[in-house]
Amino acid sequence: MEKELKKRIKKIYKNTQVEFPEANRMVIKTKQENLLPILEFLKNEGFRQLKAISCVDWIEEKEFELIYHLSSLNSPLHIMVKVRIGREDAQIETIIKIFGNAQIYEREIHELFGVKFRGNPNLSPLFLENWQSIPPFRKDFDTREYVKKKFGEIPFVEEKK
Amino acid sequence: MRRNQNEKLKVQNSKKGSFLSPFKAIKFLFKKPRTFLFPFQRRDASKRYRGFHLNDWEKCTGCGNCADICPNQAITMVKIPEIKPKPGEKNERPQIDYGRCCFCGLCVDICPTGSLRLSRDYIHIDHATDSFVYLPKDEKTDKEHFFSEGEYSIFKASLSHRKKNFEGFVSDLEYTLFEPQRVPMKEVPPEERKLSFIEQILGYNREEARKEAERCLECKLCEEACPAHLKISDYIKAIYEGKEEESLRKIFEDNPLPSICGRICMAHCEKACSLGRRGEPLAIRWLKRYTADSIKDYKKALEEKPAPPTGKKVAVIGAGPSGLSVAYFLRLKGHSVVVFDSLDGGGGMMRIGPPLYRLPIEAIDKDVNYIASLGVEFRFNTTVGKDIMFEDILKEYDAVYLGIGTTISRSTKVKNSEKCIPALLFLRENKIGKGFKVGKEIVVIGGGNVAMDVARTALRLQHMQYPGEKVITKTVSLEDWDIMPARKDEIEDAKKEGVQFNPGWGPKEVVLDDKGNIKGLLCMKVKSVFDEKGRFAPTFYEDKEMFLEADMIIEAIGQVPDFSFIPEKLFKKLEFTERRKVKVDENGMTSIPKVFAGGDIVNINLDAITAIADAKVAAEGIHKFLTQKA
Amino acid sequence: MRELELFFGPQHPGMVGNFSITLKVEGDRILEAIPNPGYLHRGFEKLMELRNWIQNFPFVCRINVVEPDSMEAVYAMAVERLANIEVPERAKYIRTIVLELARLASHLFGAWAYANMLGFDTPAQWAMADRDHILDLFEELTGARVYHIYILPGGVRRDLPDGFEEKVMYFLHALAQKLPDYNETFFENRIFYERAKNIGKIKKEEAIEWAATGQVLRATGVKYDIRKVEPYLVYDKVDFDIPTREDGDAYSRILVIRDEMVESAKIIMQCIEKMPKGKVYERLPNPFKWKIPKGETYVRVESSRGELGLYMVSNGGNTPYRVHFRTPSFNHGLFILPRLLKGASIADVGNIMISLYVVAPEIDR
Repeated sequence: MEKELKKRIKKIYKNTQVEFPEANRMVIKTKQENLLPILEFLKNEGFRQLKAISCVDWIEEKEFELIYHLSSLNSPLHIMVKVRIGREDAQIETIIKIFGNAQIYEREIHELFGVKFRGNPNLSPLFLENWQSIPPFRKDFDTREYVKKKFGEIPFVEEKK
Repeated sequence: MRRNQNEKLKVQNSKKGSFLSPFKAIKFLFKKPRTFLFPFQRRDASKRYRGFHLNDWEKCTGCGNCADICPNQAITMVKIPEIKPKPGEKNERPQIDYGRCCFCGLCVDICPTGSLRLSRDYIHIDHATDSFVYLPKDEKTDKEHFFSEGEYSIFKASLSHRKKNFEGFVSDLEYTLFEPQRVPMKEVPPEERKLSFIEQILGYNREEARKEAERCLECKLCEEACPAHLKISDYIKAIYEGKEEESLRKIFEDNPLPSICGRICMAHCEKACSLGRRGEPLAIRWLKRYTADSIKDYKKALEEKPAPPTGKKVAVIGAGPSGLSVAYFLRLKGHSVVVFDSLDGGGGMMRIGPPLYRLPIEAIDKDVNYIASLGVEFRFNTTVGKDIMFEDILKEYDAVYLGIGTTISRSTKVKNSEKCIPALLFLRENKIGKGFKVGKEIVVIGGGNVAMDVARTALRLQHMQYPGEKVITKTVSLEDWDIMPARKDEIEDAKKEGVQFNPGWGPKEVVLDDKGNIKGLLCMKVKSVFDEKGRFAPTFYEDKEMFLEADMIIEAIGQVPDFSFIPEKLFKKLEFTERRKVKVDENGMTSIPKVFAGGDIVNINLDAITAIADAKVAAEGIHKFLTQKA
Repeated sequence: MRELELFFGPQHPGMVGNFSITLKVEGDRILEAIPNPGYLHRGFEKLMELRNWIQNFPFVCRINVVEPDSMEAVYAMAVERLANIEVPERAKYIRTIVLELARLASHLFGAWAYANMLGFDTPAQWAMADRDHILDLFEELTGARVYHIYILPGGVRRDLPDGFEEKVMYFLHALAQKLPDYNETFFENRIFYERAKNIGKIKKEEAIEWAATGQVLRATGVKYDIRKVEPYLVYDKVDFDIPTREDGDAYSRILVIRDEMVESAKIIMQCIEKMPKGKVYERLPNPFKWKIPKGETYVRVESSRGELGLYMVSNGGNTPYRVHFRTPSFNHGLFILPRLLKGASIADVGNIMISLYVVAPEIDR
C-alpha cells in the first residue's frame, strides 16, 4: 500500500523524494511550491490528522527545516513531510485552510524561531512576555550569556565554616 | 479467588443511579481510618530512597567525576588543606548546593570508588539559605552530627542532625555508568612462550584500541601521578576519535620514546586510575604502544623541524632514556648535540636489560632512528675515559649532561660469591652478545624486576638448550610476598611459566664440591628487612637454614654507577645526597659548573619514565644556561 | 446586557495547574475564551541541546508532573532507536508494569480533580488515598515517589526488590474490592449524571478533524489506541481490550477512564505471571564520550492523556541536536478547549476543562 502511494506521489509532483527509513514511517522531501498540493492530496487519501509541526535550525547550511507530521486512523503509517526555507527573512504560506489545528503550531514556531506564516490571522506571542532578544530557540542564542546580561553576575554561595 | 476478582473487574454498563446513593458513604463512619498522624507516628523511607548525600572521606579520591556529570552543576570540588593525599589522589572533596540538586543519583552511579551514597534523610528547615550548601561526610569522620537510634529525634531532623547507618541508594557494580572490565589483550600462552624468545604481548588492533579508549572518564588523576606529567586523557581521546597522528603529537610533547615506554614502563598512571579502584584500570601503556606501532614513519606524521642553529654544542654521555630525551629536546631548540655510548646502538640499559620477549631491538631502534634523523649525532662504541677523555669533552663543549646510569652489578659478598655470575653480564651476553650456556638447575638471588628478567631468561635458555629434560629455575629473595619490589604482573607471568619462588630467605654461603664447581646455596631465614627508621638492614634467624641445589647461581640484587671516568680532583667537587645520589639543583646542574645530570644516578624511582622527567627539567636548565651566557 | 471580561486565572481551585483563560461573558454565557499558557515555560527543548545523552535523562520526567514515566519511556525509546541498542526481555516487562502503574495513578488523579471540582469530596479523597499506595510502591522500586528517573536507555536502573510482586498483587486486589464503593458514590450517582451529560459534546467527525487522541477520541466511538496500532514493549504479548463509548460528552469520557483502569489492572497481572528471568540493564558506553551517529526518528507512546510523540535529530555528536515533544495537552488545551467553551455557561468551565485531561506543564514544556 505504501509503495503504491510512493509511486503516485512521484508521478504527479516533481522535485520530491520519498523514503522509508524505518517500519511504519514515510519521509517526503519536497520544495516550498509543492507543499500545499501534497498536503491536500494526502488528506484526500485518508491522512486527516495533523499531529504536529516541528522546526529544526540548520545554522551551517543557513536553512530552516519544517516538518509536518500526518497520520491516519485506517493505517499505522506515519508520514513526515519536510520543507526547507532560507534563514534570512524566513516566510512560508500557512496551511490552516487544509488543517485547522495548524494555527497553534504555527504560532509557537513564529515565536520561538521567527518564521513568518503568510495568511495566519493570529501570530501573537504564546509563552514569552516582553521579549526583546532574538527568537530563543535559534542556534545563535546563548542562554548563559543572556542570563548573565539580564540578571547580573550572581555570586556562587560558599559554605560558611 | 482469581475468578471472583475477574468478575468484579468486568466492565459495567452505566446506570443512572438514584439521589440517595451518596448516603451510602455513611457506613465508613464506623471503619478504622487508613491514614496516620505524622510526626507522632513515623514511617521510614524505603530501602532505596534518594535523600541527602553521604561521603566516605577515606575512600574518596577527589577525582571530580561527580561534579562533571551533574546536569545542574550542583557539585563543586573544594580544596581541604588538612588532608594529605597519597600519590595519585587529590585533596579536594565535593560540596553540594541543595538549591540546585535534583536528587537524581547519577553522581552515585558514576563514582568509581563507591564512596558517594544517598541516605534516607530528607528533612531540613532553616532561616538562613547558606546552610543549604553542604560538604557531605558520614559517621566515620563526622561523629558529632550523626546520632544512633535512641538519640535521634524527628523533631530536630536537619542536615546537622542525621541518623547513623541510614543508607539509601548505594552504588552497585553491575549497574554503574562506567565499564569495569578491560578489553582483554591477546598474548602467547605460557606453555608456548617459555620455549623461545617470542614477544609475549601481541598488541591491540584498531577496534580493540578504540573500545578501550572509550572507557576513560577524563578525571586526570593519572596525569598527576605520572612523573613526567604526560597529557594522558588528551591522547586517549585522540585514539577514540581515530586520529592516531594527533595522539602521537600529544605524546611527543613530553616523551620521545613511545615505542619503548609502551612496552616496559612501570605505569604509575595505571596505579592511580579511577577505574582501577573497583575494576581493572585503563590499559594506558598498551594504548601508547598501539599509537607507536600503528604509525610506520614518525617523521611524516609529526613533521617536526629543529629551530635555527644557535651555534652551541652539547655533549651527552650515555644513550639511555634520559640521554635520548635530553638530546631530543635540545635539538628541537636548535643546539647541536653529540651523544656518546659504549654499546653499539642506542637505548642504554634498555638495550641490554629487558629481554627480547619484552622489548625487541626493533622497537628501540625505531625511536632512536627518529631522534637521529632530526640531526643528533650518535658516536657508538665510544667509552668515555678510554676512547675519549672527560676533560677534553669539558673543554670542547659548552655543556655536558651525565646520563650514565648504573652499570656495575652489586655482589652479596658471601663466601665463594666470586663464582656467581653478575646479572648484567648474563643479560647482555644473551641479548646482544654471543649467547650463554646454562646449567640444569639455576638459582637466582633477588626479588626485583631485574631478577624476574634473569629468571625468565634462564628458564627459556634451559628449555632451548636441554629440550625434553628436567630443568628448574628457582629464586631466592630477602623480601616476602607483600614487599617484593618486582611488578605484580611480572611475578604472575613468572609463576605461570614455572619459576619456583623462595621468598624470605637470605644467602649465607655458596657451597662448592671438591673440583671447585658450584654444588648449591645455603640460605638463612629472614627476620626483618627494614629497621624501625625504614633503612635497609636485614636481620636473620641464625638457626633456621635451607640448602638449595644448583649448578649455576646468578646474583641480581642491584646496580651501582661507574664514576671511574671522572678525574680525581673533579670528583672531589661533586656533591652527593645522603642516599648516595648525585645532588642537582632545580635546573638539573650538579655542583660542577657546566655539568648537568639526571636519570638513575639522581632519582630514587629507578625507572625509565622518571629518567625522562629528569631529562626534561635538565633540558630547560641547559637551554637557559646556554642562552643566558651569550 | 453588558459584556464583561473575566480572568479564570492561574491561581484557582478549579484549575489544572498554572494555566489561565480570559473569558468574555455576557450574563452567564461565554462569548469567547482565550487561553494564556506560558506560566510554566522552562525552555526544556533548548536546555536539552547543551547536555549529554545521559545527563538529559533526569530532565525529561519533569515535563509532565502527573505521569512522568511515559516521558522517560519515550526518550529512552528514541535514543535506543537512533543508537541501535537492544533492551533485554525482562527489562521490557518491568517497563510495562511501571507504565501501567503510572497510568493507574494518573487516572486516579484525574478522578480526584473531577470529583473535587464537582463537589464530591469523599470519593475524591478515596482516589487520592489509593494513589498514595501506588506512590509507596514506586518508592520501594525506584527510590522516589514522583520523579522516578528509572527508565533509562539500555534497560531499567535496578532490579525488582524482594517481595515486590506480592505487594503489587495485593494492591490490585484491594483496589478491585473498592470498585463497587466508587461506583455507588460517584460513577452511578444521579447528580453526576445530571451535571455531566451533554456537556462539552464533540461529534465524531469533529474529533477526527481536530486531531484529538486518547479518551477524547475514544469517547466518540473510534477505536484507536497506539498500543494496538503500533505495539511497543510487550503489548503484543498480553491481551486487553479498548473500551469506547458513543456519545462524546463529559459523561462518556469519565466512564471511559473507569473502564481503562480495569484494563490496566488486567495487563499488570498478566505481566507479573509471564515475566522471565535475566539481566535488566545493557551497559552503555561512557557518558562523557558517547556519540550517536547522524539520524532522526519519531517515536510515539500512548500516555494516559493521548498520543505522546518525540521527534529527535542527532548530528553525530555528544548532545542532541533538536528535541521536540508532541504533547496531547497542547492540542486539547489550546485548540479544542476554546471551541467547546463557546456558548457554555461559567459553571461548566472547570467541568469541560478537566474532562479533556489538560495538564498545564505539558502545554508549556
